[in-house]
Amino acid sequence: MVSRYALLKKLAGVVADDTLVVACIGNTTAFWGQLKEREANLFHVTLGMCTPVAHGLALALPKRKVVALDADGNLLLNLGSLGTVANEAAKNLTIIVFDNGNYLGSHKKEPGMRTATGGKMNLAKVAEASGIDSACMVDDAEAFEQKVKAALGSNGPHVIVAKIAALDDDRPEKSRRIPDPRQNKYEFAKYIERTEGVAILGGGLGNFG
Amino acid sequence: MKEEKAKLIVQGMKEAGVDFAVGVPDAQFIEVYKMLERSESGIRYVGAANEAEAAGICMGAWAGGKKPALVIATSGLLVATYHIARINLLHEIPLLILIPYRGDLGDPRWLGMYQKTTEPALKAMDVPYRVVRRSEDVVRTIKECHESARAWLRSAAVLFTEEALW
Repeated sequence: MVSRYALLKKLAGVVADDTLVVACIGNTTAFWGQLKEREANLFHVTLGMCTPVAHGLALALPKRKVVALDADGNLLLNLGSLGTVANEAAKNLTIIVFDNGNYLGSHKKEPGMRTATGGKMNLAKVAEASGIDSACMVDDAEAFEQKVKAALGSNGPHVIVAKIAALDDDRPEKSRRIPDPRQNKYEFAKYIERTEGVAILGGGLGNFG
Repeated sequence: MKEEKAKLIVQGMKEAGVDFAVGVPDAQFIEVYKMLERSESGIRYVGAANEAEAAGICMGAWAGGKKPALVIATSGLLVATYHIARINLLHEIPLLILIPYRGDLGDPRWLGMYQKTTEPALKAMDVPYRVVRRSEDVVRTIKECHESARAWLRSAAVLFTEEALW
Protein backbone atom coordinates (compact mmCIF):
# COMPACT_ATOMS: atom_id res chain seq x y z
CA MET A 1 0.00 0.00 0.00
CA VAL A 2 1.02 3.58 -0.54
CA SER A 3 2.58 5.41 2.40
CA ARG A 4 1.49 8.58 4.18
CA TYR A 5 4.80 10.22 3.29
CA ALA A 6 4.43 9.41 -0.42
CA LEU A 7 1.04 11.11 -0.46
CA LEU A 8 2.25 14.12 1.51
CA LYS A 9 5.01 14.56 -1.08
CA LYS A 10 2.35 14.59 -3.80
CA LEU A 11 0.35 17.14 -1.82
CA ALA A 12 3.44 19.31 -1.35
CA GLY A 13 3.76 19.51 -5.12
CA VAL A 14 0.24 20.78 -5.73
CA VAL A 15 -0.76 22.89 -2.74
CA ALA A 16 -0.60 26.66 -3.31
CA ASP A 17 1.50 28.79 -0.99
CA ASP A 18 -1.53 30.59 0.42
CA THR A 19 -3.60 27.46 1.05
CA LEU A 20 -4.05 26.96 4.79
CA VAL A 21 -3.19 23.46 5.98
CA VAL A 22 -4.36 22.06 9.33
CA ALA A 23 -2.44 18.91 10.27
CA CYS A 24 -3.43 16.35 12.87
CA ILE A 25 -0.91 15.33 15.47
CA GLY A 26 1.76 12.65 15.06
CA ASN A 27 3.48 11.67 11.87
CA THR A 28 1.19 13.78 9.68
CA THR A 29 2.34 16.94 11.46
CA ALA A 30 5.93 15.65 11.66
CA PHE A 31 6.22 14.70 7.99
CA TRP A 32 4.34 17.72 6.63
CA GLY A 33 6.48 20.03 8.76
CA GLN A 34 9.62 18.51 7.25
CA LEU A 35 8.26 18.75 3.72
CA LYS A 36 6.72 22.19 3.84
CA GLU A 37 8.13 24.86 6.11
CA ARG A 38 5.51 27.60 5.73
CA GLU A 39 3.55 30.03 7.84
CA ALA A 40 0.25 28.73 6.48
CA ASN A 41 0.50 25.49 8.52
CA LEU A 42 -1.42 24.85 11.72
CA PHE A 43 0.06 21.81 13.46
CA HIS A 44 -0.63 19.39 16.35
CA VAL A 45 -4.42 19.25 16.11
CA THR A 46 -5.61 16.11 17.76
CA LEU A 47 -8.37 13.80 19.04
CA GLY A 48 -11.21 14.74 16.74
CA MET A 49 -10.29 18.41 16.41
CA CYS A 50 -8.56 18.45 13.02
CA THR A 51 -11.60 18.67 10.78
CA PRO A 52 -13.49 21.02 13.16
CA VAL A 53 -10.51 23.42 13.39
CA ALA A 54 -10.10 23.44 9.62
CA HIS A 55 -13.85 23.94 9.32
CA GLY A 56 -13.82 26.96 11.64
CA LEU A 57 -10.92 28.41 9.68
CA ALA A 58 -12.74 27.86 6.38
CA LEU A 59 -15.87 29.58 7.68
CA ALA A 60 -13.85 32.52 9.03
CA LEU A 61 -11.93 32.97 5.77
CA PRO A 62 -14.25 31.93 2.95
CA LYS A 63 -11.92 33.23 0.25
CA ARG A 64 -8.96 31.09 1.35
CA LYS A 65 -8.54 27.43 0.50
CA VAL A 66 -8.29 25.30 3.65
CA VAL A 67 -7.06 21.70 3.76
CA ALA A 68 -7.47 19.41 6.78
CA LEU A 69 -4.93 16.59 7.04
CA ASP A 70 -7.01 14.31 9.20
CA ALA A 71 -6.69 10.62 10.07
CA ASP A 72 -9.05 7.72 10.64
CA GLY A 73 -8.55 7.39 14.41
CA ASN A 74 -8.75 11.15 14.82
CA LEU A 75 -11.89 11.65 12.73
CA LEU A 76 -13.66 8.67 14.30
CA LEU A 77 -13.70 10.57 17.58
CA ASN A 78 -15.83 13.30 16.04
CA LEU A 79 -17.69 11.75 13.14
CA GLY A 80 -20.58 14.15 13.67
CA SER A 81 -18.31 16.91 12.40
CA LEU A 82 -18.92 15.60 8.88
CA GLY A 83 -22.61 16.41 9.22
CA THR A 84 -21.77 19.93 10.35
CA VAL A 85 -19.41 20.33 7.39
CA ALA A 86 -22.15 19.17 5.02
CA ASN A 87 -24.72 21.55 6.44
CA GLU A 88 -22.46 24.60 6.53
CA ALA A 89 -21.22 23.77 3.01
CA ALA A 90 -17.96 25.72 3.09
CA LYS A 91 -16.87 25.78 -0.55
CA ASN A 92 -13.22 26.33 0.38
CA LEU A 93 -12.74 23.26 2.58
CA THR A 94 -11.01 20.01 1.58
CA ILE A 95 -10.67 17.23 4.13
CA ILE A 96 -8.00 14.63 3.47
CA VAL A 97 -8.17 11.58 5.72
CA PHE A 98 -5.06 9.42 5.92
CA ASP A 99 -6.68 6.11 6.73
CA ASN A 100 -4.18 3.48 7.88
CA GLY A 101 -6.86 1.49 9.69
CA ASN A 102 -4.62 1.42 12.70
CA TYR A 103 -4.05 2.81 16.17
CA LEU A 104 -0.47 3.30 17.35
CA GLY A 105 1.11 1.78 14.27
CA SER A 106 2.70 4.92 12.94
CA HIS A 107 5.53 5.11 15.45
CA LYS A 108 6.21 1.40 15.67
CA LYS A 109 7.81 -1.35 13.69
CA GLU A 110 4.74 -3.52 14.12
CA PRO A 111 1.12 -2.46 13.50
CA GLY A 112 -0.82 -1.44 16.60
CA MET A 113 -4.51 -2.28 16.83
CA ARG A 114 -7.04 -1.74 14.10
CA THR A 115 -9.51 1.12 13.96
CA ALA A 116 -13.08 0.64 12.76
CA THR A 117 -11.88 1.40 9.23
CA GLY A 118 -9.39 -1.44 9.58
CA GLY A 119 -12.54 -3.54 9.78
CA LYS A 120 -15.72 -2.85 7.86
CA MET A 121 -16.17 0.90 8.14
CA ASN A 122 -15.84 3.07 5.03
CA LEU A 123 -15.26 6.75 5.83
CA ALA A 124 -15.91 7.95 2.28
CA LYS A 125 -19.38 6.41 2.42
CA VAL A 126 -19.91 7.91 5.88
CA ALA A 127 -18.97 11.34 4.50
CA GLU A 128 -21.31 10.89 1.56
CA ALA A 129 -24.16 9.75 3.80
CA SER A 130 -23.45 12.76 6.03
CA GLY A 131 -24.37 14.97 3.10
CA ILE A 132 -20.97 15.70 1.55
CA ASP A 133 -21.50 15.10 -2.16
CA SER A 134 -17.82 15.21 -3.08
CA ALA A 135 -16.47 12.25 -1.13
CA CYS A 136 -14.16 9.61 -2.52
CA MET A 137 -11.66 6.94 -1.54
CA VAL A 138 -8.27 6.45 -3.19
CA ASP A 139 -5.48 3.96 -2.61
CA ASP A 140 -2.61 5.05 -4.85
CA ALA A 141 -0.50 8.17 -5.27
CA GLU A 142 -1.62 9.08 -8.78
CA ALA A 143 -5.33 8.94 -7.95
CA PHE A 144 -4.65 10.90 -4.77
CA GLU A 145 -2.85 13.66 -6.64
CA GLN A 146 -5.62 13.83 -9.24
CA LYS A 147 -8.37 14.07 -6.61
CA VAL A 148 -6.51 16.70 -4.59
CA LYS A 149 -5.91 18.83 -7.69
CA ALA A 150 -9.58 18.55 -8.62
CA ALA A 151 -10.70 19.43 -5.09
CA LEU A 152 -8.44 22.47 -4.82
CA GLY A 153 -9.69 23.67 -8.19
CA SER A 154 -13.41 23.38 -7.46
CA ASN A 155 -16.04 24.23 -4.89
CA GLY A 156 -16.30 21.95 -1.86
CA PRO A 157 -16.60 20.77 0.72
CA HIS A 158 -14.58 17.77 -0.39
CA VAL A 159 -13.56 14.63 1.48
CA ILE A 160 -10.74 12.46 0.15
CA VAL A 161 -10.11 9.29 2.12
CA ALA A 162 -6.67 7.91 1.29
CA LYS A 163 -6.05 4.32 2.29
CA ILE A 164 -2.42 4.10 3.38
CA ALA A 165 -0.04 1.51 4.82
CA ALA A 166 -0.37 0.84 8.54
CA LEU A 167 3.30 1.61 9.17
CA ASP A 168 5.32 4.68 8.18
CA ASP A 169 8.40 2.87 6.88
CA ASP A 170 9.67 5.68 4.65
CA ARG A 171 9.76 8.57 7.09
CA PRO A 172 11.83 11.62 6.14
CA GLU A 173 15.01 12.65 7.86
CA LYS A 174 14.29 15.13 10.62
CA SER A 175 15.92 18.30 9.35
CA ARG A 176 14.08 20.97 11.30
CA ARG A 177 12.14 21.49 14.51
CA ILE A 178 8.38 21.59 14.19
CA PRO A 179 7.09 24.65 16.08
CA ASP A 180 5.34 23.82 19.35
CA PRO A 181 1.62 24.71 19.61
CA ARG A 182 2.23 28.18 21.06
CA GLN A 183 4.97 29.19 18.63
CA ASN A 184 2.89 27.80 15.79
CA LYS A 185 -0.12 29.80 16.96
CA TYR A 186 1.81 33.09 16.98
CA GLU A 187 3.37 32.48 13.57
CA PHE A 188 0.11 31.40 12.00
CA ALA A 189 -1.89 34.25 13.52
CA LYS A 190 0.67 36.85 12.43
CA TYR A 191 0.59 35.39 8.92
CA ILE A 192 -3.22 35.64 8.81
CA GLU A 193 -3.12 39.16 10.23
CA ARG A 194 -0.65 40.19 7.54
CA THR A 195 -2.37 38.53 4.60
CA GLU A 196 -6.00 39.09 5.58
CA GLY A 197 -5.80 42.47 7.31
CA VAL A 198 -7.48 41.23 10.48
CA ALA A 199 -6.50 41.64 14.15
CA ILE A 200 -6.09 38.35 15.99
CA LEU A 201 -3.47 38.62 18.70
CA GLY A 202 -4.26 42.10 19.99
CA GLY A 203 -1.95 44.26 22.03
CA GLY A 204 -2.94 43.16 25.50
CA LEU A 205 -2.70 46.80 26.50
CA GLY A 206 -6.38 47.57 26.99
CA ASN A 207 -7.42 50.88 25.54
CA PHE A 208 -3.84 51.63 24.57
CA GLY A 209 -3.31 48.48 22.57
CA MET B 1 -35.96 31.25 29.89
CA LYS B 2 -37.47 34.69 29.44
CA GLU B 3 -36.79 36.31 26.09
CA GLU B 4 -35.52 39.51 27.64
CA LYS B 5 -32.87 37.55 29.53
CA ALA B 6 -31.77 35.83 26.34
CA LYS B 7 -31.52 39.26 24.74
CA LEU B 8 -29.13 40.30 27.50
CA ILE B 9 -26.80 37.39 26.71
CA VAL B 10 -26.78 38.22 23.00
CA GLN B 11 -26.40 41.93 23.76
CA GLY B 12 -23.39 41.14 25.93
CA MET B 13 -21.84 39.07 23.16
CA LYS B 14 -22.39 41.83 20.61
CA GLU B 15 -21.04 44.57 22.86
CA ALA B 16 -18.03 42.36 23.58
CA GLY B 17 -17.33 42.16 19.84
CA VAL B 18 -18.20 38.48 19.46
CA ASP B 19 -18.96 37.81 15.80
CA PHE B 20 -18.97 34.01 15.68
CA ALA B 21 -20.64 31.50 17.98
CA VAL B 22 -20.69 27.73 18.06
CA GLY B 23 -22.78 25.54 20.29
CA VAL B 24 -25.09 22.65 20.94
CA PRO B 25 -28.55 23.71 22.14
CA ASP B 26 -29.83 22.95 25.61
CA ALA B 27 -33.18 23.71 27.24
CA GLN B 28 -31.88 26.35 29.62
CA PHE B 29 -30.33 28.53 26.90
CA ILE B 30 -32.66 27.67 24.02
CA GLU B 31 -33.81 31.25 23.46
CA VAL B 32 -30.18 32.35 23.18
CA TYR B 33 -29.47 29.75 20.49
CA LYS B 34 -32.59 30.74 18.58
CA MET B 35 -31.59 34.40 18.64
CA LEU B 36 -28.05 33.59 17.55
CA GLU B 37 -29.30 31.49 14.66
CA ARG B 38 -31.42 34.36 13.38
CA SER B 39 -29.32 36.50 11.10
CA GLU B 40 -30.36 39.78 12.77
CA SER B 41 -28.12 38.96 15.73
CA GLY B 42 -25.16 39.85 13.51
CA ILE B 43 -23.28 36.88 14.96
CA ARG B 44 -22.51 33.92 12.71
CA TYR B 45 -23.86 30.85 14.51
CA VAL B 46 -22.75 27.29 13.76
CA GLY B 47 -24.62 24.39 15.31
CA ALA B 48 -22.21 21.54 16.06
CA ALA B 49 -22.86 17.86 16.69
CA ASN B 50 -21.14 17.94 20.05
CA GLU B 51 -19.34 20.42 22.26
CA ALA B 52 -15.88 19.03 21.53
CA GLU B 53 -16.41 19.68 17.84
CA ALA B 54 -17.77 23.11 18.74
CA ALA B 55 -14.57 23.96 20.64
CA GLY B 56 -12.50 22.94 17.62
CA ILE B 57 -14.57 25.09 15.26
CA CYS B 58 -14.10 28.02 17.64
CA MET B 59 -10.33 27.49 17.64
CA GLY B 60 -10.23 27.53 13.85
CA ALA B 61 -12.46 30.59 13.64
CA TRP B 62 -10.18 32.45 16.08
CA ALA B 63 -7.15 31.57 13.97
CA GLY B 64 -9.02 33.01 11.00
CA GLY B 65 -9.61 36.36 12.69
CA LYS B 66 -13.06 35.84 14.21
CA LYS B 67 -14.00 36.56 17.81
CA PRO B 68 -15.71 33.32 18.75
CA ALA B 69 -17.85 32.27 21.68
CA LEU B 70 -18.46 28.69 22.71
CA VAL B 71 -22.03 28.46 23.98
CA ILE B 72 -22.55 25.17 25.79
CA ALA B 73 -24.37 23.48 28.64
CA THR B 74 -22.81 22.26 31.87
CA SER B 75 -23.04 18.71 30.50
CA GLY B 76 -21.39 19.88 27.28
CA LEU B 77 -18.48 21.31 29.21
CA LEU B 78 -17.67 17.77 30.29
CA VAL B 79 -17.96 16.51 26.71
CA ALA B 80 -15.50 19.18 25.56
CA THR B 81 -13.08 18.91 28.47
CA TYR B 82 -10.14 17.41 26.60
CA HIS B 83 -10.52 19.87 23.74
CA ILE B 84 -10.86 22.97 25.91
CA ALA B 85 -7.92 21.85 28.05
CA ARG B 86 -5.75 21.41 25.01
CA ILE B 87 -6.85 24.66 23.38
CA ASN B 88 -6.31 26.59 26.62
CA LEU B 89 -3.21 24.94 28.03
CA LEU B 90 -1.21 23.89 24.96
CA HIS B 91 -2.24 26.28 22.19
CA GLU B 92 -3.21 29.11 24.56
CA ILE B 93 -6.06 30.30 22.39
CA PRO B 94 -8.80 32.47 23.90
CA LEU B 95 -12.24 30.90 23.83
CA LEU B 96 -15.05 32.80 25.49
CA ILE B 97 -17.17 30.04 27.03
CA LEU B 98 -20.76 30.88 28.00
CA ILE B 99 -22.59 28.34 30.17
CA PRO B 100 -26.03 28.39 31.81
CA TYR B 101 -25.16 27.07 35.25
CA ARG B 102 -27.22 24.02 36.01
CA GLY B 103 -26.89 22.44 39.39
CA ASP B 104 -26.00 25.56 41.30
CA LEU B 105 -27.87 26.17 44.57
CA GLY B 106 -31.28 27.53 43.63
CA ASP B 107 -31.73 25.25 40.62
CA PRO B 108 -35.00 23.35 41.27
CA ARG B 109 -34.09 20.51 38.92
CA TRP B 110 -32.32 17.41 40.13
CA LEU B 111 -29.05 18.20 38.40
CA GLY B 112 -26.76 18.48 41.36
CA MET B 113 -23.88 16.68 39.69
CA TYR B 114 -23.05 19.80 37.70
CA GLN B 115 -22.47 21.72 40.90
CA LYS B 116 -19.81 19.12 41.63
CA THR B 117 -18.28 19.08 38.14
CA THR B 118 -18.54 22.50 36.51
CA GLU B 119 -16.32 24.76 38.57
CA PRO B 120 -13.77 22.02 39.40
CA ALA B 121 -13.51 21.20 35.68
CA LEU B 122 -12.87 24.84 34.79
CA LYS B 123 -10.27 25.09 37.55
CA ALA B 124 -8.58 21.90 36.38
CA MET B 125 -8.34 23.32 32.87
CA ASP B 126 -7.02 26.60 34.25
CA VAL B 127 -9.96 28.49 32.75
CA PRO B 128 -10.79 31.55 34.88
CA TYR B 129 -14.52 32.17 35.25
CA ARG B 130 -17.15 34.42 36.74
CA VAL B 131 -20.50 33.31 38.14
CA VAL B 132 -23.29 35.77 37.23
CA ARG B 133 -26.19 35.77 39.69
CA ARG B 134 -27.97 38.99 38.70
CA SER B 135 -29.38 39.93 35.29
CA GLU B 136 -27.91 43.40 35.53
CA ASP B 137 -24.40 41.90 35.56
CA VAL B 138 -24.83 39.80 32.39
CA VAL B 139 -23.67 42.25 29.73
CA ARG B 140 -20.77 43.74 31.68
CA THR B 141 -19.40 40.35 32.74
CA ILE B 142 -19.45 38.94 29.20
CA LYS B 143 -17.57 42.01 27.97
CA GLU B 144 -14.99 41.87 30.75
CA CYS B 145 -14.31 38.16 30.38
CA HIS B 146 -13.98 38.45 26.60
CA GLU B 147 -11.59 41.37 26.85
CA SER B 148 -9.41 39.59 29.37
CA ALA B 149 -9.40 36.34 27.37
CA ARG B 150 -8.24 38.11 24.24
CA ALA B 151 -5.59 40.11 26.08
CA TRP B 152 -4.27 37.12 28.01
CA LEU B 153 -4.59 34.65 25.11
CA ARG B 154 -6.32 32.26 27.49
CA SER B 155 -9.87 31.03 27.62
CA ALA B 156 -12.41 32.46 30.06
CA ALA B 157 -15.87 31.29 31.07
CA VAL B 158 -19.06 32.92 32.32
CA LEU B 159 -21.58 30.85 34.29
CA PHE B 160 -25.15 32.20 34.43
CA THR B 161 -27.25 31.00 37.36
CA GLU B 162 -31.01 30.54 37.51
CA GLU B 163 -31.39 33.86 39.31
CA ALA B 164 -29.73 35.67 36.41
CA LEU B 165 -31.68 33.88 33.70
CA TRP B 166 -35.24 33.70 35.03
